[in-house]
Amino acid sequence: MLTFVIRRLLVTIPMLLVISFLVYLGLELTPGDAVSHMIDPESASRMSEEEFAALREALGLNKSFIQRYGIWLTNVVQGNFGHSLSGGVAISTIVFDRLPATLELSVFALVFSTIFGCILGTISALHRGSTTDSSLTVFGMIGVSIPEFFFGLVAILIFALHFDWLPVGGRLLPGYTSYFDHLPNIILPGLVLSMMMTAGVMRYSRSAMLDSLSREFIRTARSKGLPDWRINLVHGFRVALTPVVVLIGFRLPTLIGGSVIIEEVFQWPGIGSEFIEAVRGADYPLVMFIALLSVFAVLMASLIVDVLTALIDPRVRLN
Amino acid sequence: MANDLALEVKDLKTFFYTNNRCNKAVNGVSFSINRGKTLGIVGESGSGKSVTASSIMQLLPRLSRIEEGSITYYSDRGDLRIDQFERDGRELRAIRGEEIAMIFQDPMTALNPVYTVGFQIGEALKYHTDLSTTARRARIIELLTDMGIPLPEKRADEFPHQYSGGMRQRAMIAMAMSCNPKILIADEPTTALDVTIQAQIFTLMNKLKEEQGTAIMLITHDMGVIAELADDVAVMYMGNIVEAGSVDDVLRRPRHPYTRALLDSIPVLGRGRNQDIKSIRGATPDAYDRPKGCQFAPRCDFATDACNVMPPEERITETHRTMCHHWKELSDV
Amino acid sequence: MGHAALNRKFDRIRAREEAGLNKPQSGNRALRKLLSNPLAVAGLVIFAIILLASIFAPFLTPNDPQAINLRAMLNAPSAEHWFGTDRTGRDVFARVLYGGRVSILVGLGSALLAAVVGVGIGAYTGYRGGWLDTIALRVSEIFMSFPQIILVLLLVSIIGQSLINLIIIFVLTGWGSMYRMTRARMLSLREEEYVQALQSFGVPTVKICYKHILPNALGPIMVNITLTTAMFILAEAGLSFLGLGVPLSIPTWGNILNVAKDIRVLENNWWMWLPVGLVISLFVLSVNFIGDGLRDSTDPTLQG
Repeated sequence: MLTFVIRRLLVTIPMLLVISFLVYLGLELTPGDAVSHMIDPESASRMSEEEFAALREALGLNKSFIQRYGIWLTNVVQGNFGHSLSGGVAISTIVFDRLPATLELSVFALVFSTIFGCILGTISALHRGSTTDSSLTVFGMIGVSIPEFFFGLVAILIFALHFDWLPVGGRLLPGYTSYFDHLPNIILPGLVLSMMMTAGVMRYSRSAMLDSLSREFIRTARSKGLPDWRINLVHGFRVALTPVVVLIGFRLPTLIGGSVIIEEVFQWPGIGSEFIEAVRGADYPLVMFIALLSVFAVLMASLIVDVLTALIDPRVRLN
Repeated sequence: MANDLALEVKDLKTFFYTNNRCNKAVNGVSFSINRGKTLGIVGESGSGKSVTASSIMQLLPRLSRIEEGSITYYSDRGDLRIDQFERDGRELRAIRGEEIAMIFQDPMTALNPVYTVGFQIGEALKYHTDLSTTARRARIIELLTDMGIPLPEKRADEFPHQYSGGMRQRAMIAMAMSCNPKILIADEPTTALDVTIQAQIFTLMNKLKEEQGTAIMLITHDMGVIAELADDVAVMYMGNIVEAGSVDDVLRRPRHPYTRALLDSIPVLGRGRNQDIKSIRGATPDAYDRPKGCQFAPRCDFATDACNVMPPEERITETHRTMCHHWKELSDV
Repeated sequence: MGHAALNRKFDRIRAREEAGLNKPQSGNRALRKLLSNPLAVAGLVIFAIILLASIFAPFLTPNDPQAINLRAMLNAPSAEHWFGTDRTGRDVFARVLYGGRVSILVGLGSALLAAVVGVGIGAYTGYRGGWLDTIALRVSEIFMSFPQIILVLLLVSIIGQSLINLIIIFVLTGWGSMYRMTRARMLSLREEEYVQALQSFGVPTVKICYKHILPNALGPIMVNITLTTAMFILAEAGLSFLGLGVPLSIPTWGNILNVAKDIRVLENNWWMWLPVGLVISLFVLSVNFIGDGLRDSTDPTLQG
């Protein structure tokens, strides 16, 4: 098991390095250069020309391209992500400030869509050909066809503006501090974000269940006289779980991307909405860094999904 | 004798409904199996032999059903018409695994890859017996040992893909025999195995027959397997039993052109390179475009116009029957 | 389907078979299956309606989508303006029709281009194998490690907003999945015997690859194109809604939705954004129905 994890890590790290190099390249090509962003603009503005030049020298700004990449990379690994062009705030501060909000939303959506999607997909598969199955399938297709932000707008119109049940946006209403207080705020964006993912999970789990239930070992289980629920759950679903987990893993980038737009629609103070601001403001260091961060997230998530797959499927583990 | 009967099938018809067509896979089949005896059902692909086996415990796929006929299981509780039990209902489930068990052709796909072998063997025990967990574990080890699997304690906790082909089939047999069923249905149990492993499985099955008096229904396409294992044999072609009788009757005194042709097409060890092997001319007809009357007539050397009508079943001796207008023209092998 | 219903279905089939009515059907099996799927047919119809409405926009509305009319601002739908007017008096219905042209062009066009690139590369490198294949694979992996929106926005911030740029960016982000799929099919198909036969006859590589093997992979490719189209249309809508897609001077479905960012518009002027959203949803839904139908009809393993 350990060797499996290590092997996967060894594959992931070169990928990260290549992408970090591309990001660095991007930073170099855009106005300003990578390393100068590393200096805190506050102190930079207070320095004299000579002091600034000396600092650039000290930081190796006059060295070769590869060396500067190395310096930049070391900085990143140590936590110095550079500074945003608007306001000169350290990017690390921005990121750590807004990361929890995005994580909240994404995790909510992931958990909800996985559980709900699997349940619906299994029901659909078990009642194959019935009206329940057809309706669920059509609902699923509607779910992946409606633009997420449009669905969000409609949801806001109905639940927040018309019925006034839930807040229109934002993460915390003024005056509230505890976690559970902002539950009403997370419901709309969370559910809207989940919509597309749930439809996807429902479709995968349906087809994975149908495939699993058509295998020979189901016949063996039936021949042993086991009750239906056990055959469907313990044998059918358990084997269908592997492809479902793998497919959910493939959709994680979409989930991370989806949160970008949803955060904007609901004014959710996460990294996604920050990213959009940065793109609008041509804040290249911030744009590049968040992009790098998202890739990191995707690669880490894939790694976790692979490990999970190995845990649940002995065939993967023992190879 | 009536006491010895374990299973009796009369005029069974099972039809398949895939692609919106109706395929009469089994079209009127009758046979019986006695305790402690092996009935071999032999035929080529498409003859309906596997479907017959699946029909008995109603393990048919979704797009098929038993149309007509009766399947009577002679249990300790009395004579049960198991074809009339509700599909996947409680009565049928009580019999499956406990009184009638089945093993399948490819043990790699027939076993669930994510659970240990011990777990899968123990499932039938869990649902059909009152044994405690420890007692079940002991029984699992006992079964594995009986089936000749070395290091059973370790093996019980391993997964199917860690077993070799022959061991997997033994594990399947162990699973099927776990509750000491009266009838064992074996659907091509050795087709996916090497010849040497085949021999081991045969010995195992004979042992079961002798020690436990299990009635065995053996499906195969291989006449050699029939000769080794079966006491009685039924030859199937295109959904009908064209000839049935004891192994001696059918193999030495075949009275149906198809049986004869099958036997003639098998090379015999020892007869040398230039032996006379005759392949059967023509090809099996399309299931949806069948000949009228006798299904074998287009390929038969003895066919005449009379064969446009389905031959009735004729009794040659008390144990030997055939479905052919011209059976008298066939001589002994 | 319940047991009783299934039994009735079987009885029907059996009766037909015995009456000799179930003859093997003629004609292209895939096409037949597609047309017998009600959702797929509905999809084709809706797709055609919206597409044709956009193409023939001038015939369907006398109004100019760009014409500002300050005397008719924020009007609700009426006989003259079917979808009402927007903040500068422009006819929303006309904007939706003309906007459809751009949105569909971007969505469908980018998908087809991405398919050409992805399939072209996947077929050739998948067939040849070796270092060429490895490089292509790694490059596609890099592109696919980015969440699509983030990659798109990244590129937009670098090369700027324009219609052409957007199409280029979409192709860059979308070729990967077509490539992967084609490559997978190619890897399995190239081991087929007929390929070896062709090779032994000295048929050039390019010809084997594109003329002989590729047609066999057509089914999944077409399905993938429909899915990619759906994805791109949604992406364009989202980007234009944010103001970061097609420049606001060119009407697209997403652009029109941009107004809904203002909460007052959201609440009070529903006609400016709700119909457009529904049109987008319907169009994407129809594409998905078609794609699903294609998948069912070209998959040889699915039984009736």
